[in-house]
Amino acid sequence: MSGTNPPSSAATARALEATQSLKRSVQAAFDESQDARKAPPNNGYTSKVRVLDRYKVVGFISSGTYGRVYKAVGVNGQVGEFAIKKFKPDKEGETIQYTGISQSACREMALCSELSHPNMIHLVEIILEDKCIFMVFEYAEHDLLQIIQHHSQPTRYPIPASAIKSILFQLLNGLLYLHTNWVLHRDLKPANIMVTSKGEVRIGDLGLARLFYKPLHNLFSGDKVVVTIWYRAPELLLGSRHYTPAIDLWAVGCIFAELLSLRPIFKGEEAKMDSKKTVPFQKNQMQKIVEILGMPTKEKWPGLVHQPEFTQLQSVSSAVREASQGKTGLEAWYWNTLKSTGYPDSPPSANPGPQGLDLLAKLLEYDPSKRLTAEQALQHPYFTANGERVTANCFEGMTTQYPHRRVSADDNDIRMSSLPGTKRGGLPDDSLTGRPTKRMKD
Amino acid sequence: MAANFWASTQRLHWQFSRETLSDVRQQLEDEDRNLVQQYPLPDRRLLSIFFNQQLGKLGKKMNIRQQALATAQVYMRRFYSKVEIRRTNPYLVLATALYLACKMEECPQHIRVVVSEARQQWPEFIISDVSKLGECEFYLISEMNSQLIIHHPYRTLQEFQGTLNMAQDDVSLAWSIVNDHYLTDLPLLVPPHVIAVTAMFLALTLKPTQTGLQSAATSAAALSSASPTSKEPAGTSQGPPSTQQKKVQHLVSWLAEGEVDITACIECSQEIISLYDVWEQYNEKTCKEQIARFVKARGLDK
Repeated sequence: MSGTNPPSSAATARALEATQSLKRSVQAAFDESQDARKAPPNNGYTSKVRVLDRYKVVGFISSGTYGRVYKAVGVNGQVGEFAIKKFKPDKEGETIQYTGISQSACREMALCSELSHPNMIHLVEIILEDKCIFMVFEYAEHDLLQIIQHHSQPTRYPIPASAIKSILFQLLNGLLYLHTNWVLHRDLKPANIMVTSKGEVRIGDLGLARLFYKPLHNLFSGDKVVVTIWYRAPELLLGSRHYTPAIDLWAVGCIFAELLSLRPIFKGEEAKMDSKKTVPFQKNQMQKIVEILGMPTKEKWPGLVHQPEFTQLQSVSSAVREASQGKTGLEAWYWNTLKSTGYPDSPPSANPGPQGLDLLAKLLEYDPSKRLTAEQALQHPYFTANGERVTANCFEGMTTQYPHRRVSADDNDIRMSSLPGTKRGGLPDDSLTGRPTKRMKD
Repeated sequence: MAANFWASTQRLHWQFSRETLSDVRQQLEDEDRNLVQQYPLPDRRLLSIFFNQQLGKLGKKMNIRQQALATAQVYMRRFYSKVEIRRTNPYLVLATALYLACKMEECPQHIRVVVSEARQQWPEFIISDVSKLGECEFYLISEMNSQLIIHHPYRTLQEFQGTLNMAQDDVSLAWSIVNDHYLTDLPLLVPPHVIAVTAMFLALTLKPTQTGLQSAATSAAALSSASPTSKEPAGTSQGPPSTQQKKVQHLVSWLAEGEVDITACIECSQEIISLYDVWEQYNEKTCKEQIARFVKARGLDK
């Protein structure tokens, strides 16, 4: 009869026990709330809705400067899978106090409540419970960082050209929605772009997003530093005070390049803020851009000389890195990349082709006023080349099965730790793989 | 959404009919009948005048822009449409609404600054513990369902200023009428562009410097001549047209061409004019005392 019984070795018992204790620790992140429930403060605020009455937490997804994201399943009538973003209270450890909600959390709560678009991550609800903010989102199985990493490890093989086209189209479509509604995202990067199991792209993380309709102050004075360094537009690197939606399009260009090459195109090193909190010139990042695109000139970018950090540009070497077969700069980078990643020359639909280069060049345009807008980018012939149509499911026709998002239950120190960077469950810590730490905020 | 009032949470969740709003409030009072009877309060508009003056003082010390003050007032009104005021410390709610509004209008103030300024202004009602304000912020956001983006009439007013080529004096007056509308329920009843149109209209018809405030009837009559059913141009019954009347006619004909809801504008102007009537009964001391009674008796300031 032993053959019909489930295996019950010591190992499985241990594994079971471990799983159970891990489950408990993840659950503990949400249990703080229950402790506080026992002694409601006088006249104090108590939530009408309890996170744990509606959701069962199944594991930890990632963490950032804002707090942590958990995977959960609905209970008591709430159906489906969810990602719950728990904002960390200001002071962790000891007793949590109300210290005022960060402006970034306020913006994200307000914007997510207001926005609704098929290419934006869908907010289910926000629960404010026992000094913590829980934002409940639809669950997306993948994100672009995870997809890029899947194609680079253990062996490198290209993301199909049709998939890239669909991803880019959906991304631009979501961005057009944001920009027509006067919202700047200001932190577009692969890790913030989700993809559902049905191949739908969803822009996420509005933690740095803000409205830019007639701001009371210039955008710079609000947040000194925006956008993760590798995706930061040249006008931001040069200290522009009045930047525009074009900064998001630069990031889209960087993401497009990264989908093609499976590596960040401008992988600079961030100069840290000094003790006086002055914003340093990001020389190394600028250098990386110049190596591929060449030095910006005032002929091509008339506003260049008015950039606050213009004089710093002299310290950047103007040497262009790649030049081959009579091609220079971005063009050389592009064709070398397609070759080394392994895009076949035929059929034409399997290769991003010359239209891909043209679109990329127009997104990575130095002059923000000449850079394509989201609307113009969507009209680019790249999307209609070879008489194809862009698929709404970016996985359409693909044989690759992307692994499910890794969700770890190993999260013992949830109440204490506040790791920098975008740590992802299951994957190596980004700070170890060389991903830049999350944007700094003033 | 942000650029589009028609798809905004303000329009979808925070615009009521007069009947609904009054039902909602009745229900709140019914749930706390004893409390309501025990602690009578002045007319809501008088209370609003009091809160607005207090808010203005607080805002002035921190140099806060009008738009953030306006947002704070809308937050207060939304909050008190869901929570019985006698269960709260209105001074704390006021300071919290301002703190939150400043963040949302991108002119943030540190919580410690807000608490210390609030404590200086209302030492009997605000304790120097920032966590009280932090807690109240949770309460506010929760009751407002995190719907914090507010569309104000100022934007429309600025846009119209160019279109209609309005004189600076008239614009300033319209601007202060918009400021005044936050003392009424109008922000919960009509879309911001209707307020803007009404404010412009009133600015042209009610010249406080000339003959004092005209009656609601006169203004409303002039307004209703803008409605497509009316053949009679505005101001015909008042002798030869003055410059002011020409301006009014210009606005009226402009309105008649557009799709602005004239009936709503008429109601709106009546609401604002009756606010100016009620204002004469305003007594700061009464408001202060009546609020202090329930706050102190119920220990809401602790």
